[in-house]
Amino acid sequence: MIWLSWRQQRTEAVLSAAMVVLLAALFIPAGIHLASYYDHHGVARCISGKTLACGETLAAFGDRAGILRSVVPWLTLLPGLIGVALAAPIILDLEGGTYRLAWTQSVTRGRWIATRLGLSIFTALAAAGLLAVLFTWYRRPLDHVFGRFDGTSFDLEGTVSLGYVLFALGLGLAIGVLWRRTAPAVIASFLAYVACRLFVDGWLRQRFVTPLSATWKGNAPGPNLNTDWVLSSGISDRAGHLFAGNFQILQACGRVGARGTKALNGQCLARHGAGYNHAVWQPASRFWEFQGIETALFAGVGLLLIAFAAWRVLASD
Amino acid sequence: MSAALESRGLGRRYGSQWALQGCTLEIPRGTVTALVGPNGAGKTTLLRLAVGLTRPSAGSVRVFGLDPRAQAAEALPRVGFLAQEHPLYGGFTVEEMLRFGGKLNPGWDDQAARDRMAALDLPLKKKVRSLSGGQRAQVALTLALAKRPELLLLDEPVASLDPLARREFLQSVVEAVAEREITVVLSSHILADLERVCDHLVILAHGRTQLVGEIEEIVASHRLLTGPRDEAEDVSRMHEVVRASHVERQTTLLVRANGHVYDSHWTVHELDLEEIVLAYLGQDAERRREAVLS
Repeated sequence: MIWLSWRQQRTEAVLSAAMVVLLAALFIPAGIHLASYYDHHGVARCISGKTLACGETLAAFGDRAGILRSVVPWLTLLPGLIGVALAAPIILDLEGGTYRLAWTQSVTRGRWIATRLGLSIFTALAAAGLLAVLFTWYRRPLDHVFGRFDGTSFDLEGTVSLGYVLFALGLGLAIGVLWRRTAPAVIASFLAYVACRLFVDGWLRQRFVTPLSATWKGNAPGPNLNTDWVLSSGISDRAGHLFAGNFQILQACGRVGARGTKALNGQCLARHGAGYNHAVWQPASRFWEFQGIETALFAGVGLLLIAFAAWRVLASD
Repeated sequence: MSAALESRGLGRRYGSQWALQGCTLEIPRGTVTALVGPNGAGKTTLLRLAVGLTRPSAGSVRVFGLDPRAQAAEALPRVGFLAQEHPLYGGFTVEEMLRFGGKLNPGWDDQAARDRMAALDLPLKKKVRSLSGGQRAQVALTLALAKRPELLLLDEPVASLDPLARREFLQSVVEAVAEREITVVLSSHILADLERVCDHLVILAHGRTQLVGEIEEIVASHRLLTGPRDEAEDVSRMHEVVRASHVERQTTLLVRANGHVYDSHWTVHELDLEEIVLAYLGQDAERRREAVLS
């Protein structure tokens, strides 16, 4: 039965493996380069440094990540693709009626569904897990400087990919057992995956735990939020109400500095009742707590969907 | 010893429509049974119920005394099933299909399967997708046979085949039956396809069994009687009247006779199997017409 399950999802598994290998070929050399740049250009020393030179060092370090850095956000779609792809061979079996062939051999349908789902889950977790390890390793130097809590790095590192891939697999299977047409079911479940991810990324995640906030006087040094996930920040009044950004007032209070930079005139702002800074953020220390919540959320719903699909198949006819 | 296949009041409903209803029959071990009926008569439903693909809505079905659904682990290895559309994995090679059979069946006879493929000139390396309909049917039959079942259920096995492939296929079934004493049930909407190979007959129409029995006995007991209309009543008291038609004062009766039919008032004709089957199926059609009119 394991042979059959493997044979039927071979194409999808090989494609997933090829993708992992391709990405490893891209990101391992890039990761080595980043790490060595980090070590040899004194990046570590600049993490809490506030000097102009340090700012330039950090910016240059960020640029080192180069084009890969702009590719990375897209890679968060991969767990979705892998999960949906691994659901496809099972839907194909239902669509083509070939599941009846397997069910009329000597193996009970309970064992059939258990083995097929078991192997899909295993393959999905293995592929997503390898990708997560790869990106966590690649981004380690970047994370020291820029944090790992911001959108794209949070999505790629840690354990969330395991949740995503189970969720995508569950969506594919659940839609597939209801629809029993492979191509539309795969496309629909991938779109549903993207929609759910956008909702969690853009709205739900920041509400897992109440964020921290602080208000400080315009010219005072505020908290260092470099590695935290800043939800909002800006000029505010004393009570921390963010200044609505009246462009004309900001322009009126602007002042061209000695080196051509624009700074805001604090007294002018204070006259307009906006002499404070305000920020709302999730501290970097909550990274694993958030990873745990999001992984449990997606994996839990994913497993429920998989269980639903298994039940539908077992109870069919 | 329990029958190879036995059903009691077996029924299956899809929505409000009964695909099979009140089906009670017993198929003894070692027989080859033709399951005949028009399309939509419930043949496929009956066979699917027997192999546990479908759950009964009413009554029960047993293979070798086992519930094919609740006791699937014991029942499945003993039943071979060939579905009408001969489903196979299109992307597998013939060899992989055999491997599939071996992996999923503890009683798999790999040598026999390979011998059959060789005898049929079927290349093992070829993809199933690229085989002809007849070749695919043979691969599917090989899968069902090499499993070494005690009961082999074939749903419309020759419907999609051309006459030559039909003949070859049935020949394969006959040989398999001769080699090992297995019980076979073949369904078809055309009796002529199966007549040569079967010794038992089940006629299914309109979701119900119309006739169950041994073919020899069926042919021996059915007679066409022609005689005076006013004596038709007497005949029906003695024998089971399958079909009656009247012209003027003369009546033609198709009867399933209890014992010898001899009466000087009636002319007695013998019937061949096909005529008998058509009479039963015609009777069903008439009944349906009446149901529509009333």
